[in-house]
Amino acid sequence: MRIVPHPVTIRGIHDTLEGSLYMGIVVRLTLLFLLITLASSCAKRTLVALVPDPDGRTGSISVLNEAGSVAIDAPYLATTIGDPKERPAAPVHLDKKVLDKIFAEALSIESKRPLHFQLYFVKKTRLAHDSEKLLPEIIAAIRERKSAYISVIGHTDTLGTEDWNMELSKNRALTVKDLLVKQGVDSNTIWTTYRGQEYPMIPSGDNVWEPRNRRVEVIVR
Amino acid sequence: MRPIFLVVLVATLLLAGTLANGDADHVGVVKSMAGKVVIARSGRTIIVEPNLKLFEGDVVQTGPNGKASLILEDDTVISMGLNSRLVIEAFVFHPDEKKLSLIVRVFQGTFSFLSGQIAKLAPERMHIKTPSVTVGVRGTHVLIQVD
Repeated sequence: MRIVPHPVTIRGIHDTLEGSLYMGIVVRLTLLFLLITLASSCAKRTLVALVPDPDGRTGSISVLNEAGSVAIDAPYLATTIGDPKERPAAPVHLDKKVLDKIFAEALSIESKRPLHFQLYFVKKTRLAHDSEKLLPEIIAAIRERKSAYISVIGHTDTLGTEDWNMELSKNRALTVKDLLVKQGVDSNTIWTTYRGQEYPMIPSGDNVWEPRNRRVEVIVR
Repeated sequence: MRPIFLVVLVATLLLAGTLANGDADHVGVVKSMAGKVVIARSGRTIIVEPNLKLFEGDVVQTGPNGKASLILEDDTVISMGLNSRLVIEAFVFHPDEKKLSLIVRVFQGTFSFLSGQIAKLAPERMHIKTPSVTVGVRGTHVLIQVD
């Protein structure tokens, strides 16, 4: 370098080189910083959308944090929130297509809502004729959902003593369980419980004959 | 001293028994799933199989190719996409005593919630917490993504 005849020029070039190297580092650091900021702000981003349920109905939600809240009560409206100190954005419309894409995996595995059936009893453990006719529907629901978790819950009205009714509700639940098992349902998938007279469908005084309370509820999940 | 010690001991045992019984009820079931899904429960990691029962406090995590749909005892259906994580913080379902509460915290991923009886019977009692907001669910179908 010492023998170069135009040190100033070289020095100038050297400065420029150093400068551009320095600038490169600054630019890179700035980019990195921006990326990290972006990533960390993304890490907190929440998207909340209200959509119609499988029956076509739309409910309502409130989206709240310390900075404020928004209410949403129409389908395909969504809000995004980047930071807990940032007020939820005013709801905007999002196309069904966009939401279907973002939530494709979650929606593809979504289970159907459980089904509840009420089977009524004429007396003791004898099923009412209309309730007997419900059995094929229950079996079909179990097959369709490939249900491995079925609840069978026995109840009675308030006629008779509490102890008697506890026993009766147990026998009603077991009666329904037997009927399902006879139709080919795996008994290991049926969870039988009984509640006696304590959980009436129609609240009543003691010793009241109430057909709607003499029942077994079957929940197919 | 001795009688007091005995009383304390018996009380402790009774309390422990009550708590153990109180914890015994499951709050739901893994209805359907695909890929790898794990649950962190009281310091243990459980590899999830379909129809596994869920308990309050369970942290459910789906893997890079995992997804799952959970059905809670009040009929709430929670579905999780890939790489998603949530915890069932609170689940109380005693409609006859009007004791109802559902709190789910989501950490990351994609989720679909179909509300059940808790949101129907007590619309102020179903909450989904995300890192930046709390969603009060009066019903019925809510989609949530946390990046």
